[in-house]
Amino acid sequence: MRKVQMSAYTLEDMPLMEDLHEGDYDVAIVGAGLSALSLLHSGGTALGRTVVLDYQEQVGGLLRYLLPADGFGTEWELLRDFQLPAGVRLLLQTTAVGLLPANDAEPTHTLVVRQRQGTTQLRARQVVIACGGVERPREHDAIPGTRPAGVMTPVLALQLLAQGYLPGRRALVYGDSRYALATARRLAEAGLEVITAAPASGNGRSVRLCGTLEEICGFPRLTAVRLLCDQQSVEVEVDTLIYATGLLAGTHWLKGSGVALTAAGAIAVDAHYRTNIAGIYAIGTVVRPGLDHEDSVRMGKEVAALLPGGVS
Amino acid sequence: MEMTSIDLDVDILVIGGGVVGCAILRELARYDASIALLEQYPDVCEGTSKANSAIVHTGFDARPGTLEARLLAEARQLWPEVIARLHIPYLQTGALMVALNEQEQATIAREIVPKAAANGITLQPLSRAEILEAAPYVNERIVGGVLVEGEGVIDPFWTTRAYCEHALLNGAQLFLGERVNAIEVGPRRLRVHTENGRTFSAALVVNAAGLWADEVARLAGDHSFKLTPRKGEFLITEEDHGVAQIILPVPSEVSKGILVTPIVFGGVLLGPTAEDVSDKRDLATTTAGQQRIREGVGRLVPAMTTVSTVRQFAGLRAVSSTGDYIIRPSTVSERLLHVAGIRSTGLSASPAIGHYVGTLVGETLGLRLRTSYREALPEPLSEAAHEDGEVVCLCRSITRGEILAALRSTLPPQTLDGLKRRTGAMLGECQGNLCLPRLIALFQQELGRDPLSLEKHAPGSRLLVERLTHLGSVPAHRCERSKRGQ
Ligand SMILES: Cc1cc2nc3c(=O)[nH]c(=O)nc-3n(C[C@H](O)[C@H](O)[C@H](O)COP(=O)(O)OP(=O)(O)OC[C@H]3O[C@@H](n4cnc5c(N)ncnc54)[C@H](O)[C@@H]3O)c2cc1C
Repeated sequence: MRKVQMSAYTLEDMPLMEDLHEGDYDVAIVGAGLSALSLLHSGGTALGRTVVLDYQEQVGGLLRYLLPADGFGTEWELLRDFQLPAGVRLLLQTTAVGLLPANDAEPTHTLVVRQRQGTTQLRARQVVIACGGVERPREHDAIPGTRPAGVMTPVLALQLLAQGYLPGRRALVYGDSRYALATARRLAEAGLEVITAAPASGNGRSVRLCGTLEEICGFPRLTAVRLLCDQQSVEVEVDTLIYATGLLAGTHWLKGSGVALTAAGAIAVDAHYRTNIAGIYAIGTVVRPGLDHEDSVRMGKEVAALLPGGVS
Repeated sequence: MEMTSIDLDVDILVIGGGVVGCAILRELARYDASIALLEQYPDVCEGTSKANSAIVHTGFDARPGTLEARLLAEARQLWPEVIARLHIPYLQTGALMVALNEQEQATIAREIVPKAAANGITLQPLSRAEILEAAPYVNERIVGGVLVEGEGVIDPFWTTRAYCEHALLNGAQLFLGERVNAIEVGPRRLRVHTENGRTFSAALVVNAAGLWADEVARLAGDHSFKLTPRKGEFLITEEDHGVAQIILPVPSEVSKGILVTPIVFGGVLLGPTAEDVSDKRDLATTTAGQQRIREGVGRLVPAMTTVSTVRQFAGLRAVSSTGDYIIRPSTVSERLLHVAGIRSTGLSASPAIGHYVGTLVGETLGLRLRTSYREALPEPLSEAAHEDGEVVCLCRSITRGEILAALRSTLPPQTLDGLKRRTGAMLGECQGNLCLPRLIALFQQELGRDPLSLEKHAPGSRLLVERLTHLGSVPAHRCERSKRGQ
């Protein structure tokens, strides 16, 4: 068993392209976030020849940026103690850019992947799509107003802090998810003045302002945001807006693959995490962007039991 | 861009690095003369040229007899060569103007077709069935329409940049981040001062300052024209939804109307609105504007009423009191040439505007053509060369190789938006929120840019305010606390 460090893998750890596709894999897992790690943890060596790939330089998905912050102790432990089962090949900074499902001529699924050395293909009898999602930017929700510097999502703000930079001085964090509030705490610790806000229809976690984001103001840097609070327009002077309204399923790379999506753009699966294509499964945020971490972990566990050849 | 505060002497100075100024610079570079361009932003194409419908109009609906109509007609001849020589992404989609009722159908027959004929363009009438066959996504309730075969879509950023790069290749000089704030008119030379305290001296100055051209004219004491901003808001989708042609409504008096058009680098563009505003910097998008777009495009392509969008933006048309392009010497000096009021067709007419102005200036100053002129830009790097490296922009699968190629180009980006427009990174679903730190690191690595100085677009749009000294990494004890917290 090899211990997965939270620190970055070095390039030397990466296999050369030539050895990537010696023969087919039993399972290829796209993404190494919580759901994938949970699948690996439960499935272990029983999964057979397995490859896991992720765009990031570390495992843990988007969650990693919040670790080990308040309120994410369980997840942090899960990641910290995670053991990569023997024989599982982990490819970091390796991104799936396309999926060609099996057909009459080609009995295995093909993933087109790109990494530093170039583009290559991986073949696997079963594919588990566990690639999570990206954060909803203000543009996705068409929030009116200007386009100044200083508007960002939690992961961007956290990454900037981690690189040692202050993204602003006075921030409004819009959203009341665990992630949003933990981000607010981190920003406050870094020395920003932080105001939390969320729509009244939110999940009821305590925020300072209850209201709907109506407008983004200022140029070239953000100067204020306008919220509609109890039918009253309230202008809050901030130089930073952390737009924390959740995630979008990361399905952009599946264009043309034939994998069916829901109206909301997530991957459509049945109760057994099967997509419309035999041998292709999907778990975690990519099937339900609103999901909490416990559910991701559960899905990983459950799909491990369901994979033919997996543990039961 | 290095220059001490000593004066720079050139023969010709162009103010404004939009599509018009850059097209002019490219044509001036043919002459045996020293030329330079001043742009207030840290990049070219930051004004109206970055926010438009990106259509290469044929000019079929221009007012016959105007300079605009004439230059659009000339541009039609010039485009194929410009696109080929500068390797500009362009799609000849054709445009379908669709009539939603008999009245609109009559307007097409009575006004649009004869006007197009006067502009030398034959429109092809199409029945309802023919339109729906060619463009099944169009509203079934249409009654007919016409095809404008020669219309297409282009990459406006690439176009502007390519003009500029071509001029640089032929010896032009570019000064970014130089805002002109004073002009002294002398009998033989003009002195142009910038906010940074620099002084440029030239025998002839071309005022191509877009929406601000009236203000630049005023700096020289010329109050002969006024420009007012007319805002156009847009929405952009990520998917193309089958839209393969430009779909135009039958136009009204005020504007060409709200249309649906494919984007040359993917997705669909919806808009623009047309609203007179008072502030020349008002680029805010509004709820009302977005609703108007949805209503407008819904009439043409019903699916667009509810389609999800990835981005919204607005551009400002420079509306002049004359209703035509203003291309003439200033009232205060023959040596100051205005190229202004290029309202809604500047991108389309740019090759011809460049040629017209270039010729005018060449004659005024009695210039000779340069002997060693390079007719084309070098071939862009092959796809394969760009593909090297891991994916940096996840949403759009843009690689490190593509980012590095942009950072190492002749006209490298100075801002994050500049990098976005050169590579397509940050244009996907997450709008750069995931990959931005990687891009900042590449800026630092390749161009030595201190992340603290990096701006999003305009001067003052810094992303980071300070370096953290006390919180470089998360202290270890936090893990302990977090365990208890759960
Ligand atoms: C909504 C909308 C839709 C449009 N659709 C189309 C279309 O489909 N096809 C088409 O052909 N055209 C279209 N247009 C018109 C087209 O975009 C413009 O005609 C064109 O971009 C004008 O270019 P420009 O170079 O004159 O102006 P700009 O791009 O604005 O360039 C002027 C430059 O001058 C600089 N400047 C100003 N003042 C100073 C100063 N004092 N010192 C230094 N620099 C200065 C500015 O920063 C700016 O970069 C559209 C326009 C709008 C708004």
